[in-house]
Amino acid sequence: MKHIHFTSFLTNNAEFEKNYIEKLVGQCAHKKFEKDAFLLREGEECKYVFFVEKGLLRQYYLDTAGKEHTIQFAPENWLISDRDALFFKQGAQYFIQAVEDAEVLYIEEDLILQLSRQDAAFHSYNNQLLHNHIRQLQKRIRLLLSATAEERYLDFTATYPDLLMRLPQTMVASYLGITPESLSRVRKGLAEKNQRRIT
Amino acid sequence: MSIKHVEMIATPSAPHYVGDGFRVHNFIPSYPRMDMKRMDPFIMLDYNSKFHFPPSERPRGVDVHPHRGFETVTIAYKGRVEHHDSSGGGGVIGEGDVQWMTAASGVLHKEFHESEWSKKGGEFQMVQLWVNLPAKHKMDPPKYQALENSKMTKVPLADGNSWVEVIAGAYQGHQGSASTFSPMHIYNVKMKAGAVADFTLPTNFNTALLVIEGSITINGTEKAQGDQMALFANSGENFSVLADQDAIVLILSGEPLNEPIAAHGPFVMNTREELIAAFTAFNEGKFGYLE
Repeated sequence: MKHIHFTSFLTNNAEFEKNYIEKLVGQCAHKKFEKDAFLLREGEECKYVFFVEKGLLRQYYLDTAGKEHTIQFAPENWLISDRDALFFKQGAQYFIQAVEDAEVLYIEEDLILQLSRQDAAFHSYNNQLLHNHIRQLQKRIRLLLSATAEERYLDFTATYPDLLMRLPQTMVASYLGITPESLSRVRKGLAEKNQRRIT
Repeated sequence: MSIKHVEMIATPSAPHYVGDGFRVHNFIPSYPRMDMKRMDPFIMLDYNSKFHFPPSERPRGVDVHPHRGFETVTIAYKGRVEHHDSSGGGGVIGEGDVQWMTAASGVLHKEFHESEWSKKGGEFQMVQLWVNLPAKHKMDPPKYQALENSKMTKVPLADGNSWVEVIAGAYQGHQGSASTFSPMHIYNVKMKAGAVADFTLPTNFNTALLVIEGSITINGTEKAQGDQMALFANSGENFSVLADQDAIVLILSGEPLNEPIAAHGPFVMNTREELIAAFTAFNEGKFGYLE
């Protein structure tokens, strides 16, 4: 039973026929990665959007001082890619790495373009996914420019409810744009406020 | 007298690490026919078979993590584990001891090899069992029961050199010290070669045993070796265990709760909504804070 998540992802989000989904899924490669393996490295060519069937990926870049900054996490049912490298044929600016052992579906850019041309339903669905992605990025910019560390942390936990337990604190901090010590203070502060209100 | 027959002998699957301190074989719920429903109220059993950990200045273990909705029962056979939790509690689980933690509405805790033990290293062997809580007790306050081996109820067997340690429930009318939220019996049976122990456990109780040491014969016919788990059918009440060699056997038998289960990671609730609420509560610090 391969690609269970991707099939239900398509079924739950758009009105595609079953044989259409099977055909689409059948054209995607399925690969397994061990923790810490790279799916994409800075400078490489990127030809795929990755869909996570199992495990956890992250996308990050290194600044000029060599410090890591996390752009996005992708647990099960998430899509992740370097859009710049994929659609504008630039060398990748990001690393995409497995944070846990992972199983990933490789969706080729050509397949996405071809289906978008041929099928109005797919085109509209793909547009919806892109709009959602842009909305998410806009919110992230807004939070990084003006929100408090606590607000950013709470947004992170709302976006990724179970990742706090699956990620090292340093990676969470690098996503929030704060130091691990600040993250510790935020979590401690919240616990002091909320601890006695078990719900 | 109706015999409780062995339904399956399970050989441990490939081990995996929990944190870096527990090298475990999972039986419940991943082993075929040992899922949460079949084994209800036992929802998880990880077995760290005997394994030699080399000396380490930095204790190995599992860092801070939450639990809600069930109880964790840690049964130590070899090695020592130190634990701390968000309510300020903590302690050391030594060889032969059992720690029964009722996570219920929620705790944060961490478990590491005890620091002095870790510096020397050595043989490590433990079981961690998760016992589900009835829906009406899932949001009770958390609590601990530290069951020290020296204070455990020990019922001698006929050979005079073997005994049954009653962790929970009762054996032949002798009550164990752990209090439980649903009816169950958990024993460590410590037997010399040739000893025989007889058990009478209700038909509907989900029942299994794990051979910790030695090898045994169940009901005069079924052989089980060290590290194997025997699952009993839900028919009959009586079974016997003969120690073919000196043996230690963990016996679990519990009345099923027969309630819906919504489980994800360290939370075991009854509905998806309760599961989401558990994640939210954890993320918002409602389980407290632990460095």
